[in-house]
Amino acid sequence: MIARCLALLLAAAVGLPLVWTFAAAARAGLDAGAWTALARHPQTAGALGLSLATGFASFVLALAGSSMLMALSYGSPLWARLQRPLPAMLALPHTAFAVGLLLLIAPSGWLVRAGVAVLSPFNHGLGLALDAPPPWQTSQDPWGLGLIAVLTLKEIPFLLWAALAQLQRPDLAQRLAAEIQLAQTLGYRTRAAWWRIVWPQLLPRLQAPLMAVLAYSLTAVDIALLAGPSAPPTLSVLAWQWLQDPDPARNALGAAAAWLLAAGVGVVALTGWLAQGGGRPWARARWSRGVSQPAAEWGVASSARSVRALARGAATSALPVAYTAVACALVLGSVMGVWPFPALWPQLWSWEAWHSVAGSSTVVWTTLILGFTSSAAALLWSVAWLEWAPARWQHRLQPLVFFPLMLPGVLWVVGMHALSLAWGLDGQASGLWLAHSLCVLPYVLLSLEGPYGRFDPRLQTVAASLGRSRWAFVVHVKWPLLRAALAASFAVGFAVSVAQYVPTLYIGGGRFSTATTEAVALSAGGQRSLMAAYAALQWLLPVLVFGLAAWGGRTRRFPPRTQTRSLQ
Amino acid sequence: MALLAPRPLLQIRLRQLQVGGRVLLHDLALEVPGGSIHSVMGPSGSGKSSLLAAVCGTLDPSLHLDGTVDLNGRPIDALPTHQRRVGLLLQEDLLFAHMTVLENLLFALPAGTQATRIRQARDALAEVELQDFDQANPATLSGGQRARVALARALLAQPLALMLDEPFSKLDAPLRERMRELVFGAVAHRGIPALLVTHDPADVADMGRLTVLP
Repeated sequence: MIARCLALLLAAAVGLPLVWTFAAAARAGLDAGAWTALARHPQTAGALGLSLATGFASFVLALAGSSMLMALSYGSPLWARLQRPLPAMLALPHTAFAVGLLLLIAPSGWLVRAGVAVLSPFNHGLGLALDAPPPWQTSQDPWGLGLIAVLTLKEIPFLLWAALAQLQRPDLAQRLAAEIQLAQTLGYRTRAAWWRIVWPQLLPRLQAPLMAVLAYSLTAVDIALLAGPSAPPTLSVLAWQWLQDPDPARNALGAAAAWLLAAGVGVVALTGWLAQGGGRPWARARWSRGVSQPAAEWGVASSARSVRALARGAATSALPVAYTAVACALVLGSVMGVWPFPALWPQLWSWEAWHSVAGSSTVVWTTLILGFTSSAAALLWSVAWLEWAPARWQHRLQPLVFFPLMLPGVLWVVGMHALSLAWGLDGQASGLWLAHSLCVLPYVLLSLEGPYGRFDPRLQTVAASLGRSRWAFVVHVKWPLLRAALAASFAVGFAVSVAQYVPTLYIGGGRFSTATTEAVALSAGGQRSLMAAYAALQWLLPVLVFGLAAWGGRTRRFPPRTQTRSLQ
Repeated sequence: MALLAPRPLLQIRLRQLQVGGRVLLHDLALEVPGGSIHSVMGPSGSGKSSLLAAVCGTLDPSLHLDGTVDLNGRPIDALPTHQRRVGLLLQEDLLFAHMTVLENLLFALPAGTQATRIRQARDALAEVELQDFDQANPATLSGGQRARVALARALLAQPLALMLDEPFSKLDAPLRERMRELVFGAVAHRGIPALLVTHDPADVADMGRLTVLP
């Protein structure tokens, strides 16, 4: 009975603000005048087209890239090599990644300078003008190519992580490995077997992460501000600009644009779903069309095998190499001083940017306090919910908790802002904490659900048979055994909080600055090293917390066994 | 007078099979002529399944094999699994859950004219008395039916040898007897060598020899 009351309280604590937020967001989309103004606005069609094109292209590329990487490495030592750097890649926030990538691919960035350094010795014959940056637009280009590159590279590790989480489930992993071996005995190469056996069984299990990637790709604001086109910008940026306008009519226009964006996500998802259904007969025919290469072929030249293995190794290394280069660009970019083109390295290194960061201690403290308090709240709620809520309740509330992941950020903050106004939390630290906690909650719950669900229920029976209460079992057995998962979930929550841009500015009323808001704000100016320093800080803080979580959640080490004398 | 094709022969000469520093098998030599079933028995952990995996090429990387495996006089131990043409039938039927019964069978056939392939697959289903189940979802079949589909699938790939890793152990007595007849009949009819790992003395075929691992 007490457990049910507690679960009811927990459901209300999260359900009430979420339902209020969705209702308020829905109400904001009912302004007919705003819809008319949106339809007539000259930038709407172009911005919507850009959002759909960049979002869909990056989604397709990320899906293709992640599936191909898995197909290339499955069943070989490359599989482990693909998995190992994933946590580090995921720990790099989107904004920090975008800043680092732009430092690399900008016309005056490291890649062009490295190219100039390579070409210079041969330039007598080539006659290229290598003393000025090329007139290319590698970011904020009108076609959104820079934005597509950032989104694709950032979403591939997430999809890999989601797929690996499925493939490592004990029930599935063993069966799929055996099925692949069986397919090999029927004459299939590992890669062919992967596409016909593993991928068709994996894809339906990835619907939720795929939907989250699609929604994010189509509606991201911070990344689009950094790397997306500006005239017109994507619809998410346009909506964000209108929402920040003091004029209420423009705010309503922003809310309508946010709804249009949500409708765009829905239409693309529905189209994808229908295409998947329509393409199923074709896919089924492909799965069972037989071995295309005669199995009687006895051996392949070892040189061809070596070339293939080399290509596979290069392909699976490309992503970690790109991330390492981005991280290096961030760190080095934050300490660069005078750096004339086309010098490969700055003439002067400077700690000035980091001194500025250290001087703005409010930004650092705000980032830390928001991250710690919101992820702690989300963790406490998730643990209590998973522990005491009946399974049926958990199943029913789940869509509500995860729904913000599918919504455009700009639409979610419209509702959240209405809630903060109604509850007197607008521009208050408490309102910002609530917004961050609700943003963080689905991620914490998602990362904790698996370990909680897999926990061996027989241990509780054993504890009960030994006369221990449920509380004693939870405190002395369950939580210590789940320590690593609890610590990792907290770190995930912290990283999500640090990365929040739109809620921090909108719910905080512009009164609170974090590493993320500073990095994005600085992207419009020329302070490249300061922008890199804030972006690096945005990355280093979660890395620090992930490190602490790994240390806190490490496996218990037992003292080595000492030989005991038997009693005679 | 037509020349008789040589009957397939499986030869295993195993000096050592070890995991870590532990020797699982050593000094083992087996010759399995076509059309016969060589049974292997032994306690759990004696290396029975590892022996089959060594022939199939699916040996766990932690195991080290010192020896040779020849099929029809050609060494196959250096070949990748998909080029060995060694069929496998396990305790688990491992039917692909995302395919119908017919698609599971088509999967095992070489690429070619679809009509021919479908006819071959249907013939194979008829051989195991499941001709009406071509469009069935594997999950709706009984254990015995699934085992028969798995056998039909393994044979459709036209293996040159068949590895049987306790394929009857999950079936009840009457089904086990029927399945034995089907498997042993297929091996004899096709004239291929087969290696059978089992714990059940009743599985040991009359048509072959028995090795008991220590």
